[in-house]
Amino acid sequence: MPRKPIDIPCRVDHLSILSEDGEVDREMEPELSEELLLRMYRTMLLCRRFDERMLTLQRQGRIGTFAPIKGQEAQIGAVVPLEPEDWIAPSFREMPAEVWRGKSLESVLLTYAGYNEGGKIPEGLNNLPIAIPVGSQILHAVGIAYGMKYRRKRHVAMAFFGDGGTSEGDFHEALNFAGVFQVPAVFVCQNNQWAISVPRSRQTRSRTLAQKAVAYEIPGVQVDGNDILAVYVAVKEAVERARAGEGPTFIENVTYRMSVHTTADDPKKYRRDEEVEPWIARDPITRFEKYLLKKGLLTDQKVASVDEEVTREVREAEQRWALQVEEGIDPMGMFDHAYEDLPPHILVQRDELRRELEEKSSQRG
Amino acid sequence: MKVPAEKKMEMLRSMLLTRAFEDALQVLCQIQGKIPGMMILCTGQEAVASGVCAALQNEDFIISNHRSHGHLLAKGADPKALMAEIYGKRTGCNKGKSGTLHLAVPEVNAPCTTTVVGGGLPISVGVAFAQKYRKESAVTVCLFGDGAADEGSFHESLNLASLWQLPVLFVCENNLYAGAQRFEEHTRVKSIADRAAGYPMPGVVVDGNDAPAVYTATLRARETAANGGGPTLLECRTYRCRGHGEADPQHYQPKEEIALWKQRCPILKLEKEMLQKGILSAEELEKLREDSRKAVQEAVRFAEESPWPDVAEAFQDVYVSDL
Repeated sequence: MPRKPIDIPCRVDHLSILSEDGEVDREMEPELSEELLLRMYRTMLLCRRFDERMLTLQRQGRIGTFAPIKGQEAQIGAVVPLEPEDWIAPSFREMPAEVWRGKSLESVLLTYAGYNEGGKIPEGLNNLPIAIPVGSQILHAVGIAYGMKYRRKRHVAMAFFGDGGTSEGDFHEALNFAGVFQVPAVFVCQNNQWAISVPRSRQTRSRTLAQKAVAYEIPGVQVDGNDILAVYVAVKEAVERARAGEGPTFIENVTYRMSVHTTADDPKKYRRDEEVEPWIARDPITRFEKYLLKKGLLTDQKVASVDEEVTREVREAEQRWALQVEEGIDPMGMFDHAYEDLPPHILVQRDELRRELEEKSSQRG
Repeated sequence: MKVPAEKKMEMLRSMLLTRAFEDALQVLCQIQGKIPGMMILCTGQEAVASGVCAALQNEDFIISNHRSHGHLLAKGADPKALMAEIYGKRTGCNKGKSGTLHLAVPEVNAPCTTTVVGGGLPISVGVAFAQKYRKESAVTVCLFGDGAADEGSFHESLNLASLWQLPVLFVCENNLYAGAQRFEEHTRVKSIADRAAGYPMPGVVVDGNDAPAVYTATLRARETAANGGGPTLLECRTYRCRGHGEADPQHYQPKEEIALWKQRCPILKLEKEMLQKGILSAEELEKLREDSRKAVQEAVRFAEESPWPDVAEAFQDVYVSDL
């Protein structure tokens, strides 16, 4: 009986361009304008400061549960190659990508403070609302990409999801469909090593997540996900392929969740601090900063002034958000759009809240 | 690896039984109208069931799907109880409640055939988990089609089975059609076995019309699984010679393709091989054929003479306790 190996068109690369010290691989270094590089740096820092501020606001009880993004800011590199008409389908840890694409900080705050208005997509901004069910948005992106192909548009759809998402059946069905129909989709897996408390090693037995692309005969690549230049280069290749009608790509960004899963989680229960330490040296912002300093695009003074600027921007956004909530948003809106006829127990809650709000406003006089 | 003559005989016998059983069903269902509803036959695919089951031990489990007759007969199910069940009679293996689509034969460790495409995969992982947890030496085999390999449940099941190194064999019976969809129309990889790389686990492709080849591949995978070496994805390339169900006119399957695969009939193939090697004589073959025909006639008679279930039994065995 013959038993012979099958020749599978399969190659999984690992891509890294910037070292931890900010040394760049000259051959791989992308040609990006000074303005764009600085904007990337500024947005990373803005998102870091905003993330820190949100954590404080959550602890103060001013916003609800959210998923901090600390350490994963290099994801911005994935959306830099996109055009406004392209779509992204983010999960709940893609605030930096959304902000790069034009989502306002105050709308992020509105979302996490529980207002419908935060999920509203402004006209012309092709960001889907964040998906909470793990992996569900991969299918949405494939649907959009299928639409692009059907309408003969040159635009692409990008799905973001985590390492946990790759174990979902939705991932399999989405990548299979995308592969069969060769739709212009880019799958960006933010492998941050933890699916809440499940470590990467207990998520799947495969050595890389990128190799899962083999099952759909689409290109798969593993990228240093804390290296914004590598993320940019890998995604740009994928986007160009998708635009040229050459189908989808699966990209695994190896990164690390430096903070909690969400503000309702305590990682000390399941991971040791020593595990986090090496990742501090791999921080995507300091690494990119070192690169820009070496390149002469940043100085220590400039770093300090950018930091000041973005910190101010966060504060101003917070003020605008607070004002918007105070003046314009009716909390009673939470009862809209879920039921055609409210069930009795919800009616009771609605009346209770209305009374409470009326009492509050009469007290204020 | 040399396949023993008695194993070949066992496989030939179960393939002949399955073919005779289903030929009878085709007449009963389509021509005589005695069995209502959907009828799904495995004509042309018998070598997968017979090859796989010949490599298993009695204590091993199989989880089957909508095309289950071959699997169950090869695992040792009683044709009389199976036929009565397909008729919907009280003497059927599930007291007439399951019909052809939901057969279960716990006596031969075939506790479930599910018509939900891909539905058997997570169930088989659960059974294999129990076997490992209880430190049993038995394994579980899940049989599913090429269509099921595109379901999310396939991915979740293979991931967990590999992660936990469970004693399970995933046998993909790739008959080139998922309903009316050709394999290339729903899957981009050339071979389902290629998907093993992503979990990872060994992926093996075998000629699904060659019963001894299926047997050998299964035996090897079973040994790996039973010794703690984890799961295998075994793809058996075969062909669905009849429609998806008997009501399917097969207008989407090229006539030449069907004719070609009928020539590759797994039963004729094994018969020829055994005759040539001298381990089977023409007389013995005739006797085997006659035996299977008789067994099926007896099963049909048993089913026809059996009583219908009483209306009062409709709620029995549905819930553990009465509602």
